[in-house]
Amino acid sequence: MVPPSIVSTGEVGSLHELSVVIEVVRTVEEFARENGVTRIDKLVLQIGELSSMIPQYIEDCFPCAVDGTSMVDTKLEIEILPGNGRCRSCGAMFNLVANKGICPECGVKDAEVISGKEFMIKEIVAC
Amino acid sequence: MDAFKVLEIKKSVYEGNDKRAGALRSGLKKDGVFLLNLMSSPGSGKTTTVMRTIEALRGDMRIGVLEADIDSDVDARTVAESGTRVIQLHSGGMCHLTADMTRQGLEGLGTEGLDLVILENIGNLICTAEVDVGAAKSAMILSVPEGDDKPLKYPMMFERVDVLLINKIDAISFFNFDMEAVRERVTAMNPGIKIIPISAKTGEGVAEWADWIRSAVRDWKRA
Ligand SMILES: Nc1nc2c(ncn2[C@@H]2O[C@H](COP(=O)(O)OP(=O)(O)O)[C@@H](O)[C@H]2O)c(=O)[nH]1
Ligand SMILES: [Mg+2]
Ligand SMILES: [Zn+2]
Repeated sequence: MVPPSIVSTGEVGSLHELSVVIEVVRTVEEFARENGVTRIDKLVLQIGELSSMIPQYIEDCFPCAVDGTSMVDTKLEIEILPGNGRCRSCGAMFNLVANKGICPECGVKDAEVISGKEFMIKEIVAC
Repeated sequence: MDAFKVLEIKKSVYEGNDKRAGALRSGLKKDGVFLLNLMSSPGSGKTTTVMRTIEALRGDMRIGVLEADIDSDVDARTVAESGTRVIQLHSGGMCHLTADMTRQGLEGLGTEGLDLVILENIGNLICTAEVDVGAAKSAMILSVPEGDDKPLKYPMMFERVDVLLINKIDAISFFNFDMEAVRERVTAMNPGIKIIPISAKTGEGVAEWADWIRSAVRDWKRA
């Protein structure tokens, strides 16, 4: 098997992001090809607050991931989506991160995750 | 200057891999090859368990091994010594395998005539759990020295696997390991999980594990 060409940053935490971003670049290039886009000015990703992805790591490894692809000059923008939950006890909606999972209305720590685990390729800006 | 144009993609990043994993899974189903994804932290006993599993099942099915655990071929060589078909995946320091890498590995291994392929995944408890490799079933090993609080620290893996092997039970008296607490914690996260305490060293519990694989393969073939 051909080893994937990756550049180790020496930081274990970012290797995961790197391999995922390589996957993102591949998907976006495919999309661009299908849509007749030759130059991508900007790529917009959305990452949920509760996703295991660390936005900083993604930004750090983006240059490595696009190296040698048609996206070398593409800028990266990351939008953070809130990690919201609904309290199973009283039904209140609240931000899980800011409230550490504890319902600000009734104080119960038993919430269902409504959003925040996403990791989406939102859009590209082509020129 | 050219006009800028926004093209909406709105696609989950995992979608591409999930699709490829699904395709791989149905291809394997058609060929009658049961792929088992075995995951754990480094040193929990994956290779030792794979060896024991081969021993226990060799008479019943033809087994192949995809070895992705480390970047040397020490593990693959250990397995090859048992006369089993094995291939070492060079994951180049990656922390998880994707469906594509797994497919390439299976092609390199050659699955014709095999009933069961065990994938010894990269030793990593965090991201291997998140990435679908196209396996029919997945199992993880928690070894006694890692502690009974591991399910609390890495819930994702425990939530997603079909089987939890608790390995190195021969050493349980040296550690403060509360088996019942683990059962409770893990079952609360994943009610359908099968928990099997084993010692890959002494062979204790391995028969139950082998039985689980036999019946999982049987049910999968029928479904
Ligand atoms: N005491 C004991 N040691 C074990 C057992 N299973 C594996 N080991 C030891 O744990 C170490 C790591 O095992 P290995 O199978 O290479 O783990 P891997 O990194 O997950 O593949 C080796 O020294 C094994 O001999 C077990 O059931 N009991
Ligand atoms: Mg190993
Ligand atoms: Zn509440």
